Amino acid sequence: MSKQYGFLVNIGRCVQCEACVAACKTTHNLELGMKWRRVITYWHGEFPAVVNRTFTLSCQHCARPACVDVCPSSALSKRAKDGVVVLDRDACTNCKICGDACPYGAIQFAKDDSLQKCDFCSSRLARGQAPSCVVTCPTNALQFGTTEELAKISGAQQVEGELGPALFIIPPTRAWDLRAFRSALARAKEPSVPQALTVIL
Amino acid sequence: MSSKEPKTRKKAPLDLSVKKQPKDRVVPTFCGMCGPNIGCGINAIVRDGRFVGVEPLKESPVSKGRLCSVAYSAPHWVYSPNRLKYPLKRVGARGEGKFERITWDEAITLIADKLKEQKAKFGPESLAILGPARRNYHAYFNRFLGVHGSPNYGTSGICAMQRAFGFTHTLGGYPGPDVAHSNLIVIWAKNPVYAGTSKSNLRDILDAKDRGAKVIAIKPTLEPDAAFADVWVPVRPGTDAALALAYIHVIIKEKLYDQDFVDKWTYGFDQLAKHVGPLTPEWGERMTGVPASQIVEVARLFGTTKRVCFDVGNGLEHATSSSDAIRAIAIIIAITGNLDRAGGNVFALGRGAGGLGPKPITLRKNFAKQQMVDKLVAPAFPREFQPNAETTTSAYYGIIESVLTGKPYPVRTIIAPGTQPTVSNRGPKRVLEALKKVDFFVVLDVMETAEMNYADVVVPVATMYESDYPFEFQGGWLMARRRVIDPLGDYKSDYEFWIDLAVKMGYAEDFWGGSIEACMNDQLDPLGITLSKLRQHPLGLRISPAGGAKPPTYENYAKVFATPSPGLSGEPLLPQGKVALYSTTLEKYGYHALPQWVEPPESITGTPKLVAKYPLVLSDFHTSKSYMAGWLRNIPTLREVLPYPTVQIHPQAARERGLRDGDWVRVESPHGSLKVKAEIYPGVRPDTVMMLHGWWQGCQELGLPAYPLCDGGANVQNLYSSDIKKATDPVVWAMASQTLVQVTKIEEQGSAS
Repeated sequence: MSKQYGFLVNIGRCVQCEACVAACKTTHNLELGMKWRRVITYWHGEFPAVVNRTFTLSCQHCARPACVDVCPSSALSKRAKDGVVVLDRDACTNCKICGDACPYGAIQFAKDDSLQKCDFCSSRLARGQAPSCVVTCPTNALQFGTTEELAKISGAQQVEGELGPALFIIPPTRAWDLRAFRSALARAKEPSVPQALTVIL
Repeated sequence: MSSKEPKTRKKAPLDLSVKKQPKDRVVPTFCGMCGPNIGCGINAIVRDGRFVGVEPLKESPVSKGRLCSVAYSAPHWVYSPNRLKYPLKRVGARGEGKFERITWDEAITLIADKLKEQKAKFGPESLAILGPARRNYHAYFNRFLGVHGSPNYGTSGICAMQRAFGFTHTLGGYPGPDVAHSNLIVIWAKNPVYAGTSKSNLRDILDAKDRGAKVIAIKPTLEPDAAFADVWVPVRPGTDAALALAYIHVIIKEKLYDQDFVDKWTYGFDQLAKHVGPLTPEWGERMTGVPASQIVEVARLFGTTKRVCFDVGNGLEHATSSSDAIRAIAIIIAITGNLDRAGGNVFALGRGAGGLGPKPITLRKNFAKQQMVDKLVAPAFPREFQPNAETTTSAYYGIIESVLTGKPYPVRTIIAPGTQPTVSNRGPKRVLEALKKVDFFVVLDVMETAEMNYADVVVPVATMYESDYPFEFQGGWLMARRRVIDPLGDYKSDYEFWIDLAVKMGYAEDFWGGSIEACMNDQLDPLGITLSKLRQHPLGLRISPAGGAKPPTYENYAKVFATPSPGLSGEPLLPQGKVALYSTTLEKYGYHALPQWVEPPESITGTPKLVAKYPLVLSDFHTSKSYMAGWLRNIPTLREVLPYPTVQIHPQAARERGLRDGDWVRVESPHGSLKVKAEIYPGVRPDTVMMLHGWWQGCQELGLPAYPLCDGGANVQNLYSSDIKKATDPVVWAMASQTLVQVTKIEEQGSAS
């Protein structure tokens, strides 16, 4: 594999505005209820020493994607040139096994049962443009690049995970944050409806 | 939309980052979702004659190639089934909603005939035009009012003007936060995240944080800015004046003020020191709910940090102690030595485009007359201070009351352009009574409004995507607006409405002979360009003053402190030529010379007898990630993010009431009750609940119904006092948005979600 694209979320700059979600929905003309990208908020502490953090999450385009592993019709695959997990819509039988396999809730199904997931704005990438969620982010909290490039960004940490998610974060400085982030990420699949998730630690 | 797109594409000259198909047309213009005002730059995508999408315009210095979530919903807004497309004339009873379709010209004629008749019978002041938060079309109807002869520009008393009054009468100007050079940024009663996400100073604040600046957020709930702040001050709603006074107490008692500045440039320090003597941190804690220890800690940060700036929002303006809170904060800025210094709060005088800008079109000369001031139906600021800016101003709610009471005289025609009187003001029950009673009511909007069924004439106007006007100018950047699509019905822009109406009234001479192009060119004149020439630069032009932009200057005290009042007196705002810690001007006109603490109409400390029945403080905010005030609930892509009206309640308060997240609850105050969902929110004061303002509209696509405007609905205004004596600031017309409530579960609605 020549390279692997991934996303980076600078958690200290993510302000819950959902511009990335809106840009994604517009770019891909998603039906109501579908969100290839979601905004997840988690809380820590109790009033008045209470605080929350937010991150934005899409498909992680994992190194060892569970969805690809379980797909019986080879409709999902990892694209060799950039590591993006792509869907061959013609091959997909809408069996939904992949939806159960993905631990991040990144795979959703539309009203007509069709599989929905982030394609890393492949058509934009082909034109040399950044994914629309990254372009719009008003605070530059969301960035993209190859995993090599992202690893070089000051403070960036790759998120650990069995499947090797291509997700980096710049955690805020407080000690509890990373632990809380991991806990929130582990629960990203709850609820079944792709609305913002609130994890109260 | 097909997910398959051509792999090779020819690069068009204006194609910046647009996902477009070969035949798509790309129109660089401005977003119009939170304006009309200075907009973020967009590339609008048109496919087969239909506006299909929006992408950020990289070249825009306002938004720098970024957009917020609302910007993307523009096509849904433009093609909403709730759009007004044809002028309507009421044929049924008020409120019944029976209309017949008329033409644009018929609508203009109907309105003009009525205004001419009333002007002859009752005088021109019988007309009032309601303004919501300041928008760029205000200048056009301001001009109309002035030429017509009515002083009654009805400001809603919620935005900017009250701040300007408090600041200018204390500091001579309204200094903005110099975030870029600050070491401590105080966000007070403002939400920089939702208030224009992609064009606000949000990025600057985050950049400052990255270089080590600290942020303090003062507000009742942990909104996103409070979440990234270093210190959150969870103040009880409506008590900001008490908090600011307690801060001043600590700053003076511990001698944390800038002695040199105080000696040289302030007036009345001894009186101030005496005044705040009893206003201890412990007193502050009782009034505001903020622990005394934190009041001391934060006051010390204000007094000991070099370069502190205050970014204040209109949360301050929704309180009975609005002007006092603003004056007290202005005093903190001054005595801590942060006025017009780098990293503090700086005056516009020393920076910016050097006064270069379009020609104002309000025609202030028509307002700056004693007879106009005398004729004000409900002065938004005391008559002694009128005109308070470019125009005279009446209180929005005072205009409504005049219809019901006839005092001092009844307004006969109300025109509501882009404002919803039942949703944006207190007392919706009174407002509906007034709208039933008023002689003539005209609604001007792009979308069905909350009270359009009461209108005699409904005039649709163009969205900003259907108009070639106006141009925009900010920070030396000038760009023409371009229409993305043609209007979907028989209507024109807001701007053309006022020009057409003026011509029909016989005011053509003052309205460019009826030509909007001439109107634009008149405004562009000082910038040395015409609209047609500007259009040759679709991405706009940089305009700088002769000799280029000058570096900022600081400490412009002598100049700014000599600024004359915009009122008829023209006397200096600061008679001593110094910061008015003690205002002899306010004293002269019968108001308190020093900032006071005035309780909200209902509060834990002010009306303790009510607490047994209504134990929780309620207030609201009007910005969110999805909506603009009382609009946009009908847009499905936005509504799915925040589908239901909620009341944010602390987990402990929820437990005490047996509430779970999402339960339907009744929120009841002494003035009315609402039905909303409980939102368990760990980041709200346990003694406080908060709502989002502006709920009334349904959303067809999501099958969500409209809600009643008064009891049983979700319109927070229904819960507040509209008693002018109790609920209004003693100096300026600002109305409280705080009350006491009880929250109870509605059992039978448990499955209604």
